[in-house]
Amino acid sequence: MEPRINHLQIESQVHELLDYPVCTNQITSTIYQCSNDYTGEVNNDKENPYNCPYSGSKCTATGDTQWLLQHLRNDHHVEMHDGRSFSHRYVHHNPKHLHHATWMLTLLDCYGRQLCLYFEAFHLKKTPMYIAYMQFMGDEEEATSFSYTLEISGNGRKMTWQGVPRSIRDSHKTVRDSQDGLIITRKLALYFSADNSNSKELKLKISGCVWREH
Amino acid sequence: METESMDCESSTRSIPNDNETYHFSSTKKHAGAAAAVVTNIVGPTSTAAATSVYELLECPVCTFSMYPPIHQADDTTQFRDSVAEIALGQAYCHNGHTLCSTCKVRVHNRCPTCRQELGDIRCLALEKVAESLELPCKYYNLGCPEIFPYYSKLNHESLCNFRPYSCPYAGSECGVVGDIPFLVSHLRDDHKVDMHAGSTFNHRYVKSNPREVENATWMLTVFQCFGQYFCLHFEAFQLGMGPVYMAFLRFMGDEEEARSYSYSLEVGGSGRKLTWEGTPRSIRDSHRKVRDSNDGLIIQRNMALFFSSGDRKELKLRITGKIWKEQHSPDSGLCIPNLSS
Repeated sequence: MEPRINHLQIESQVHELLDYPVCTNQITSTIYQCSNDYTGEVNNDKENPYNCPYSGSKCTATGDTQWLLQHLRNDHHVEMHDGRSFSHRYVHHNPKHLHHATWMLTLLDCYGRQLCLYFEAFHLKKTPMYIAYMQFMGDEEEATSFSYTLEISGNGRKMTWQGVPRSIRDSHKTVRDSQDGLIITRKLALYFSADNSNSKELKLKISGCVWREH
Repeated sequence: METESMDCESSTRSIPNDNETYHFSSTKKHAGAAAAVVTNIVGPTSTAAATSVYELLECPVCTFSMYPPIHQADDTTQFRDSVAEIALGQAYCHNGHTLCSTCKVRVHNRCPTCRQELGDIRCLALEKVAESLELPCKYYNLGCPEIFPYYSKLNHESLCNFRPYSCPYAGSECGVVGDIPFLVSHLRDDHKVDMHAGSTFNHRYVKSNPREVENATWMLTVFQCFGQYFCLHFEAFQLGMGPVYMAFLRFMGDEEEARSYSYSLEVGGSGRKLTWEGTPRSIRDSHRKVRDSNDGLIIQRNMALFFSSGDRKELKLRITGKIWKEQHSPDSGLCIPNLSS
């Protein structure tokens, strides 16, 4: 039913580094308090559902964050990790064959919220690129209270991106095209992947963590 | 006419554009204590061997490329070199007139001395003699102690650690060569490059109209720290994906020693930050090679404008960084693959 992505494999190890206990009660509808002290159900999920953030397919499902989480895990088979830091390896035996946009989505569960971690291969004006970025399953106002880092390392080099997750109200394509994430050329990605063997395999180790400012 | 200029605010100098010329000594250096050993120079500075030997070795067409290297060697060494050069580079006509193999092609197989036809006569005996010759590296007077059979000598010389360095100045084809102290003075005096002492930096790059990135614009600053010199390059150019800015560090010395150092570069703004950590490349790798390998901090222009506190009209990029010496020896697995494709 859904197009399976057969070529990219994730090997992931999850590190749980909760600095302080986090209440994991799921709240079905979010109540925001804006800075002018007005309380109310601004952006009530049930009244203003989100589009399914699963990229690359024509999925038109909509719902609140809780429903979408179930949908992503059950229907799209997306993995979800607990904890605010992660370490993934993206491996591809023949990265030059990634013609169409290829991407991976992983979910992170922390601070009682969920974030989407995207990793994509795409072409930017004919140059093959990779980009990794995060989006917050919620509205922009709450998204700005988070920060995240993504780090690629290998072959004596390290690149770190620190950013603010965009809300899933922005389509993943919008975020990708604004380059608001860790973005590298495939040439540089192969440089990070280089080891003593002469293989031109892509072996990218991406680690990162999320934290909440306030 | 160039109207844009990219300024670095840690100095008050504007960046020279490509139209400015630099007056320095000619690109083929002749004498000079700190300058390099040169090859293929015809002229009276060559040393004492018999004039007739040199006349013999002179190609009648180009007066070039059959001369042995010029150095303060004894005559025997010079003779051995010249024999080897003859074997590899010459052609003969029926009357025995010689010609270098490059010029042989240009004279359409007619001997310029006697107008006889040039054959494909090789001098096998001399070639065999050349095989058995062992010659010192041509940089022996710069310290190289090694001796090679003729055919592997050339290969060694292209990689010899004692060979002089080329001027690391980007943006022009400066052909000056020399050792590191000489090149540092050359950069400072002839190219007017900024010199900084210390291992940390904080530069602001300002460009009033960042849309104009057609011509590559670039900046070079030299840092002195840990008793070494480093070149920090900052450039704006077009990559396949559009205009980008790139910053990277090169070490004024050899690759092996470069691996004892690391550097980081950071750029940020508006809640976002990009950090690069890497090993400086040696200036043995040309500036273009390092740039094309993307081995440094690369920012697309859109993101750079975003970092420039958001009004997106002016580029005001603040880049901070530092250089440090690694405590432990670098990983044996470290390799710098050739990314020339």
